[in-house]
Amino acid sequence: MKLRFRLILFIALLFWAAGIFFECIALPFNPLIIGYPFVYNTFSHVCHQDPDKLINLTCGSTLVCARCTGIYLGLLFNSTINIFVVLKIKTSLKLLALCTVPMALDVLFVVINIYPYSKAVAFTTGLLFGSILFLYLYDGLNNLIVEIQNR
Amino acid sequence: MKKYISAFVAGFGAGVLHVVPVAKSFACCLILPVASFIALLLDKKANPTYEKISMKKGAKFGLITGLYAALFGTAFDLFITLITKNNDIVSMLPELQKMIIAFPISEGLRTEVLNIFEHVRNDILQYGFSFTYTFSIIINNTVINSIVGTIGGLVGAQVINQRMNNRDNT
Repeated sequence: MKLRFRLILFIALLFWAAGIFFECIALPFNPLIIGYPFVYNTFSHVCHQDPDKLINLTCGSTLVCARCTGIYLGLLFNSTINIFVVLKIKTSLKLLALCTVPMALDVLFVVINIYPYSKAVAFTTGLLFGSILFLYLYDGLNNLIVEIQNR
Repeated sequence: MKKYISAFVAGFGAGVLHVVPVAKSFACCLILPVASFIALLLDKKANPTYEKISMKKGAKFGLITGLYAALFGTAFDLFITLITKNNDIVSMLPELQKMIIAFPISEGLRTEVLNIFEHVRNDILQYGFSFTYTFSIIINNTVINSIVGTIGGLVGAQVINQRMNNRDNT
């Protein structure tokens, strides 16, 4: 994928990730607060936003839960690396399963009360899942661009 | 329409799950990407072929699943709001107000923002309908669901193609 497409992908993910920290971003840019309900509502489509599961920072809390924050930051993290070094990790179902299982197990263990919800564990497992998800997304977009260009 | 029946079914399911609180908290951000994946799987079952799914088809199915989910999700949300005269926005409004009051902004801006909140809340409590809320969720649902659905379709097509590759190799 050409650098410009990788940059577009990075900017889109950066913009999305910035929305998660809207409360902190709105602090120095006060008028932004008028858009708070709209941004809050936007993220309500992609996360349950349970107040007990949000990450609390000194400037405010995230607009999505710890797990979703991990997923989106995982996507952004790999996208950032991908600007400088094109990731050539071959995607496979085993790799996807390997990175999804910890998150699925964490959800399951919390639901059946084996251990209580931990933001750190949720964030870490989400980050792992998000990182691998980026590879699939990148491959998918890459193939889509090739298909469109070959038309 | 018949071509996209699987997207319709999966989109309808995702739209319903969007308004079911327990399902929403369990599946979280994965409802729509999984719905797009299911739409592709259903289509593959309905039209069996050894050909790989093109990314264009994956993206198209994802987009249409997202749009159907937005349509049904919005309709259910508005319908439930109309009947119950209550929704998530009304419930979280006291929290939002507290946050705005604590926020270091000018008095004029604070009053303006709180007035908008109050207006939406009163409309919903009184009539079960608010134009601002309706406009906001239509835009939000359409844009977010189509983007997330398309991403789900692209990733889903990749996963299905890899499964086919694995099967061919064994």
